[in-house]
Amino acid sequence: MAEPALALVQSSPSPARAQIAFDNVALVLGGKAIIDTISLDVTPGEILCVVGASGCGKTTALRLAAGLYQPTRGTVRFEGEAMRAPRREIAVVFQDYGKALLPWRTAAGNVSLALETIGMPAAQREARIAELLAKVGLAGHATKYPTEMSGGMQQRLQIARCLAQDPKVLLMDEPFGALDAMTRQGLQDEMLALVASTGATVVFVTHDLEEAIYLGDRVVGLLPHPGRVGLTMPIDLPRPRDQLATREHPEFLRLRRELFDFIRASE
Amino acid sequence: MRWSAIAWRLASFGVAAGLIVLWQLAADQRLISPVFLPGPDRAWASLLRGFTTGDLLTKLMGTLTHMAYGWLVASIVGIALGAMIGSSRAMRIYVAPTLELLRPLPVSAIIPVAIAFLGLSQGMALFVIAFGSLWPLLLGTIHGFAAVEPRLYEVARVLHMSRLAVIFKIALPSAAPDILAGMRLSLTVALILAVVCEMLAGLNGLGQWVLLSARAFRSADLFAGVMLLGVIGYVTALAMGAAEHRLLRWQAVRR
Amino acid sequence: MTMSERIKPVLLPLAALLVFEAWMRLAGAQSDSLAPPSAIVLALAGALADGSLLAATRDTLASAFAGLALGGIIGLVLGIALGLSNIFNRLMEVTIEAIRPIPSVALLPIALIALGFGYRMEIAIVAFACIWPVLIVTRAAVGSIEPRLIEVARVLRLTQLDRIRKIVIPAALPRIFLAYRLAAGIALIVAVTVEIAINPLGLGAGIMTAQQALRPDLMLAYLVWIGVTGFALNALLMAAQRSLFGRAAVIGEQA
Repeated sequence: MAEPALALVQSSPSPARAQIAFDNVALVLGGKAIIDTISLDVTPGEILCVVGASGCGKTTALRLAAGLYQPTRGTVRFEGEAMRAPRREIAVVFQDYGKALLPWRTAAGNVSLALETIGMPAAQREARIAELLAKVGLAGHATKYPTEMSGGMQQRLQIARCLAQDPKVLLMDEPFGALDAMTRQGLQDEMLALVASTGATVVFVTHDLEEAIYLGDRVVGLLPHPGRVGLTMPIDLPRPRDQLATREHPEFLRLRRELFDFIRASE
Repeated sequence: MRWSAIAWRLASFGVAAGLIVLWQLAADQRLISPVFLPGPDRAWASLLRGFTTGDLLTKLMGTLTHMAYGWLVASIVGIALGAMIGSSRAMRIYVAPTLELLRPLPVSAIIPVAIAFLGLSQGMALFVIAFGSLWPLLLGTIHGFAAVEPRLYEVARVLHMSRLAVIFKIALPSAAPDILAGMRLSLTVALILAVVCEMLAGLNGLGQWVLLSARAFRSADLFAGVMLLGVIGYVTALAMGAAEHRLLRWQAVRR
Repeated sequence: MTMSERIKPVLLPLAALLVFEAWMRLAGAQSDSLAPPSAIVLALAGALADGSLLAATRDTLASAFAGLALGGIIGLVLGIALGLSNIFNRLMEVTIEAIRPIPSVALLPIALIALGFGYRMEIAIVAFACIWPVLIVTRAAVGSIEPRLIEVARVLRLTQLDRIRKIVIPAALPRIFLAYRLAAGIALIVAVTVEIAINPLGLGAGIMTAQQALRPDLMLAYLVWIGVTGFALNALLMAAQRSLFGRAAVIGEQA
């Protein structure tokens, strides 16, 4: 089980070390400057939401944080070290869950993939798989194939597989974008509960501004063409969040207005 | 199995049996000379005779052995080579166009070349069968490996999977449907080439059996041999179908 | 495509040819089974010039197309009938399953004693081989015609024949053409195989004769030419399909 990364008890007054740091990062792909420049620190244990108009490079920024891309300029660091390749401590939840799951393995088999890779012996795997599936609400569906499951269930399965890595950081790329509104809200709350219990850091990319405010401790708004940071907004709303109460909170509405104006101005 | 399905199946057998009866009538009435068309009774008798006192069994095993060896070699080479080519974009660019060019070539044309090198021998037959069966399998495997969902490769990178693990846990299962489809085709090719090589080189097998029976105008033996060849074709197709069904169970399930 | 992208696919075969040529020349010794590419080209040019190659091509293609026409008609008629009538289809299941797996070359000796050497025997075997792809695809195509169209036919009170002519065939036409395209490839392959196995006519006989006469340059020239013929035939039919039915019909079939 991952230790809550908040346990950075320092006696000296230095700021909490950024878990992921973007240090003047720029990326040119296919001759186009997708990102130019982003400097950003992700605090351990926080839920950071990234929003922006289309073309702002938010998915690209996430893939840089995952180590799937290498920056053309600048450095992406994980816990101080420059990232040259993806790391097991960083799990990625892709938007197209159907393509990120193995169709020939059952739900249990898909979760097992992550456990096999970290070298867990077979005897222990079964118990851990059951635990993880229960955690995402898929207990009893262990023998189903992904094609037999609904979109929401498949996304939960992907999250379970990511949790099997015991990640310190969860990178989520519009994970609920392809789902209907009710499923989406249910998964939002489930995700908040999961994150609270595991203490993982989350970077959550979304185009849904209300979702960003609802979930996040901080919201970063990117400007498009090329991508750069335009707005950093701390979210001072009480936790635990509630779908009705939080969304009616006056501070929520104020933040929403600010974010809407930012996006509209940047398009 | 639902009752109606069983009933239809029985009716279908009935129709087939009816056609056999017609065949028997035609043979009895000598509508076609018995030199060319033996009745099913004579063909069946020849079949039994061949297995009990004759050497039909050794001929059958001969063909099956030729097929098996050739197809096995083709499978190993085809899957290994296909995996290498299919998973490397660079190799595909260099190699795939040439393979596409060679695809429509009738593979039996390699027989005279093989004879030139190896003579009318067992070795020639094995080479031809292996070479001929290789192509559908190679092309199918390349296609399967080339079509692996790229997102899964990214998942593998994030999970830090070893190269071997990626091949066996992601690429191979993903390519399995295409590989199996290629295997189906290559089994068919193996049977055809085995028969042709046996005919040409006089090797121990059903190809030789049917040709000699024809030359001696022993039509009952000839038909018995042809039926056996049909049985081989049928059984291998059935076996492949069962293998596909078992390995590709996940494709069948739908929400 | 950039310049380097155009060149890459050609590099491997070009290099192979150059190595082959150099090796044959440097090795110096006369070979009964191999000839350098330059000699092959010369033999090819010679055979084209004296008309033997073209005559052989004409013979093979004539048999192949005649067999394709015969088998294609039978397959088409049966396919339409089986596709339209579920009852007929289910009744004939066992019979078709029993006959289909028989490899066409297995029927070679039967055709031999019935029809002797020559065109008729080859056409018969090619026809048998061509029935199945046409039948299977036509049956599927007819079976999956938009039911709405069938309803339209009934409302318009078309006779059975008219219905088939005006609605069934046009709706299923793209896939039927695909079936014929596949069958054409099979026709060529089977024709060449029959010629190599036993029939003294056409390209197959030509390549076998060249091998027996210990003329490797001519033999390999025939091999190249057979490949070219196969490729050209396939390309021609693909172009025809594209122009008749548009790109949409070509996309979506197995690569």
